[in-house]
Parts: sequence; C-alpha cells; structure tokens
Amino acid sequence: MLKSQRQKDFVFDSVIYVVLFIIMLTMLYPFYYVLIASFNKGSDSLLGGVYLWPRNFTLENYRVFMDDPKWVKAFLISVLRTVSGTLLGLLLTSIVAYGLSHRDLLFSKVYFTVIVFAMYFSGGLIPYYVVLRSLGLLNSFAVYIIPSMLSTFFLLIAISFFREIPAELKESAHIDGAGELTIFFRIILPVSTPVLATMALFMGVGQWNSWLDSAYFVQSEELRTLAFRMMEVINKSNSPMDSLAVANSASAGVTSFSLQVTSMVVSIVPIICVYPFLQKYFVHGIMLGSVKG
Amino acid sequence: MELETQPKSPGTGGGRRSFLWKRFKKQKVLHLFVGLGMIYLLIFAYTPMFGILMAFKDYSISGGIKGIFTSDWVGLRYFDEFVHDYQFGKLVRNTLVLSLLKVIFAFPAPILLAIMLNEVKHMAFKRFVQTISYLPHFISWVVVVGVSYAFLSADVGVVNKALMAMGFTDEPLAFLTSPNYFWGLAVGSAVWKEMGWWTIIFLAAISGISPSLYEAAEIDGAGRLARIRYITLPGMKGTIVVVLVLTIGSILGGGLVGSNFEQAYLLGNSINNPTSEIVQTYAFRVGLSDGRFSYAAAIDLIQSVISVALIFSSNFIAKRVSGSSLF
Repeated sequence: MLKSQRQKDFVFDSVIYVVLFIIMLTMLYPFYYVLIASFNKGSDSLLGGVYLWPRNFTLENYRVFMDDPKWVKAFLISVLRTVSGTLLGLLLTSIVAYGLSHRDLLFSKVYFTVIVFAMYFSGGLIPYYVVLRSLGLLNSFAVYIIPSMLSTFFLLIAISFFREIPAELKESAHIDGAGELTIFFRIILPVSTPVLATMALFMGVGQWNSWLDSAYFVQSEELRTLAFRMMEVINKSNSPMDSLAVANSASAGVTSFSLQVTSMVVSIVPIICVYPFLQKYFVHGIMLGSVKG
Repeated sequence: MELETQPKSPGTGGGRRSFLWKRFKKQKVLHLFVGLGMIYLLIFAYTPMFGILMAFKDYSISGGIKGIFTSDWVGLRYFDEFVHDYQFGKLVRNTLVLSLLKVIFAFPAPILLAIMLNEVKHMAFKRFVQTISYLPHFISWVVVVGVSYAFLSADVGVVNKALMAMGFTDEPLAFLTSPNYFWGLAVGSAVWKEMGWWTIIFLAAISGISPSLYEAAEIDGAGRLARIRYITLPGMKGTIVVVLVLTIGSILGGGLVGSNFEQAYLLGNSINNPTSEIVQTYAFRVGLSDGRFSYAAAIDLIQSVISVALIFSSNFIAKRVSGSSLF
C-alpha cells in the first residue's frame, strides 16, 4: 500500500516536472533563437536549419544596425522617453498618492470617486486624439511623456503602500517642524523603494515598448521610437505583398529578417538587464494592488 | 479668514464650517498634491469622455475641442451606418470568437500552472520556472509578432523549415497569411505571453491556504490529486472568481491576456483579414487613417458600453453564485 502510494507520487512528480520543463523551453527558446539568429549571417539564416547556435557567425547585423542613423536615433529617443517618462510619472503618481493616502483628508470621497470613475470609463481613442491635438501635443516629444504620467491603477497601488507606512514616522517629523514636502521627499520616498521600483519597472517597460503613440500621434521622422521602427520592419516583411526579404543593398548578407531579429535583441536586452533587480520588488508590489491575504 | 473670527461653538453650522476650514488649511499642501492629479484626470480622462458626444454629431477635426459641442447633431446616424456596414457581421463574429477563445484557453492556463508549480518541492527549480514564465509579459507585442514571424513565416520560419526537413509537409504552411490559422495564432501567442504573469496571483492565493489542511488530508489518506481537488482548488476559489470577473469585464479588449487590438493589428494582414479584422482595428482604421472621427467614435462607444455592462453583470453574477466579487 505504502509502496504503491510512493510509486504514484513518483509518476505524478515526473509528469509535473516534464510538463513544467516543456513550458520553460517554449518560453525560453524563442528568445534564444532570436539571439542566435541575430549573430548568424542574414543570407545564411534564410536557408533554415539554424536551431541551436549560429552556423555562420557574424557581427555584421549589429554593425549595420549601429551604422544606420535611423536606428541609432530611434534607440536614443526610446531611452530618453523611458527615462524621463518614468521619472516624471513616478513623481506625479507618488505626489498625488501621498496626498490621497491620508485617511483624514477632506473631500477624499470626492477624489476617490473621480479616480475610480476614470478607471472604468474612458472616452475612447478618437476623443483622446482630439484632446491631444487641441493641446498641441501631437507631433512632439511631449506626447510620449505627458499623457501617460498618471495612471489610476498605479495610483491605487501607491496609495495602499503609503497607507502601510507607520503614522508615527510622519508624526515625529511633524513635531520636529518638517513640512509636508520635506516629509514626502525625505521620509516617505526613501522608505517606499518597493513600490517605487515596481511602478518604475512597469512605467519603464510601458514606455520602452510603446509604438502606437509613435505611429499615430507623431509624424516627424526624428521622433520615431525603437518599437515603432521595429514594427515597421516586421510589418513590411510580414505583409504578403512583400514577403521576400529585401536585402540591405549597403551590406551583403544582411537581410530584413536579420535586421529584424537584431532590433528585437536590442529592444529585449535592456528589459532583461533591469529584470533581476526589480523582480524581487514587483511580486510584492503587484500583490498590494490585487489580492489581499 | 472671516470664519475664524466667529465664535466657535461645537454643533452650530458656523463652528463646523470653521472647523472644516481649519482642517482644510492645515491640509493645504496635501490638497495641492491631490489637486494636481485631479487637474490631470480632468484633462486626459474626463475631457475625452465629453468627446463621446461626437458620436452623435457631424464632427470635423478642424473644429478642435470646441467642435465637439458646436457641430450639428445627427442623432444615431453613425450607429445606424455601422450596423448596416457590409463588414458588420464579420467584425462582430471575429471580436466575439477571439475573446471567447481567449477566455476558454487563457483563463485556466495560469491556474493549472500555479497548481503544478505548487507541487514542485525543489524551490530553486520552482523559482526558475516562475521567473522564466513571466518574462514574456514584459516583452512588447511588436517583439512577440516578430518572434511569431521568425518561427512561423513561410519563407524564414523555423517551424516550417523543420517540418519540411523532417518531411511532414512538402510546402510551407501559411500560418501568418491564412485566415484559417489566425485565431489559433492569436490565442496561442496570448497564452504564451501572459500565462506566467497571472500565475503570480494564483500562487499567492495558494500560499494563503493553511498547511494544516494538507497535513490533515494526508493523514486521512488523501493522495496528491485528491489534495489538489479538495484543498488547493477550493482555497483558490475567491481569487479565481475575482480574476474571472476581471476577465469577462475586459473580454472585448482581450481579457487577462491583454490587447486583442495590438494582436489583430500587428498579426493581421490583407489575406487573413476575414478572421483577423475586429471591431477595434476597424474603428481605428476608419477613425485615424480615414479621418472619419464621428463614425469611429460611435463604434468605440458601442464597444465600451458593452464592456461596462459586462463588468457589472459578471460582478453581479459572481456575487450571487459564490459570494466573492470585485466591488
């Protein structure tokens, strides 16, 4: 009896480990494949059969990528919007959340109603476009930053975090004569790293990945983002009219496919770099906003 | 200022007002902070809501914001036009099928993954699988589409090359450019991208279950499957209901696996259009590309009314059926 139970457990465990291993492979392999394809000679990749490591190793794809001012510019714009968008977004969100985290705040019912209503209802894309246009934000760098500085979702997460901070911390600072601004910047922000890191990760990733605003709110070539440029190459090669990969005339062996996987690697690497640092925070941070207990 | 000079007797109107005024003055920095946010929401969330009016008007973009109020009423003309659009049937079918398929496949996936992860005793392996599984959540749809292209396209796709090399098929399968594959492709890539992410919430729910329940069940002779069925699943019930409500409420947008729009827009092309064009991509095209603002606003409005109705009704049903709900 006992033995059969142990056998059953062994079968059960094996099945689970095998399934999880397969899931892990399907999650990892696509990234790995894109990476090796970016180091393989473009014209050689088209022949197929490159599965585990680069068959015809080259750095040519990256050289072409870095020599093209279009890509470099797009990369810089993406970095710039990610850094400034995240910092400004963090600042506004945490300032507003700090105010709202005071339980004795007058009119807080009104404030919260305004926020929750905005969470569930929206005017839709077209009126939003009209508003951006009237504010003169279209076709400017500011359209990447200003409209996305405050999200109701992050606001609620930050509020519930600030409410967990012991009130004594603020009270003692008050007694020492500190104003709200001092308390906020000197005491609240430093102890709020988990929630700030979580929000920074999500805002940063959102900024970095965003392409729709670049496609529809901006016409200027100068302001195109990396994600938008990537969308352009992918859509071009994906569309049936133009399914033959167009070789880059400037450099033999580099195809639109190899350029595409190279740009994908360039856009994934920064995310993977910050991921381990922020990971330990966001599981806790996201829980604050969702399930309790 | 005037209020402060009034005699303060608790209980009288004047006293209360002056009390409130004092509190407000004490909190003035906080109200300034919050006020910033309110102004922001007013501009970027509430002004567009007024823009919904343009669905009932003959709006032209040259009118700017004011045009929303000053242009002529046309009643339900644009709603009528959409319902009689020759693409209407196709759009509604594609939108509903895509959303339903996603609920059917994407909703149970993270629950199953969480249960499996919970049975793993090697903490390092568990953490590793988990870390890997939510990585795709942070990758943009553009990259996911690029990955699909690298794997599935007819000319460079790994899958087709491998299938042909192994002799399973003589010519490449048109995964990306055939209407037959689009739904599978969209649901599959959505599950791939978001399954691990939602597992976080379900694992948190499982970790809230008291270990003594498992010990008791083990003593009573319950096997692993029995423990999952009678302890783990019931313990996750509340969370499952909340996530289901969220899913159904956002079903038209893509449910918990996010953005039907980005998928249909990026994976869609002129050949798979019969299954890939959905209401949102259509509204987007007629609105921003063709400049038919009022028509697109009307289509958007229909969709958001249905979404709001879905949130409230699924929440109501959840409350009735299980006692747990979102709000």
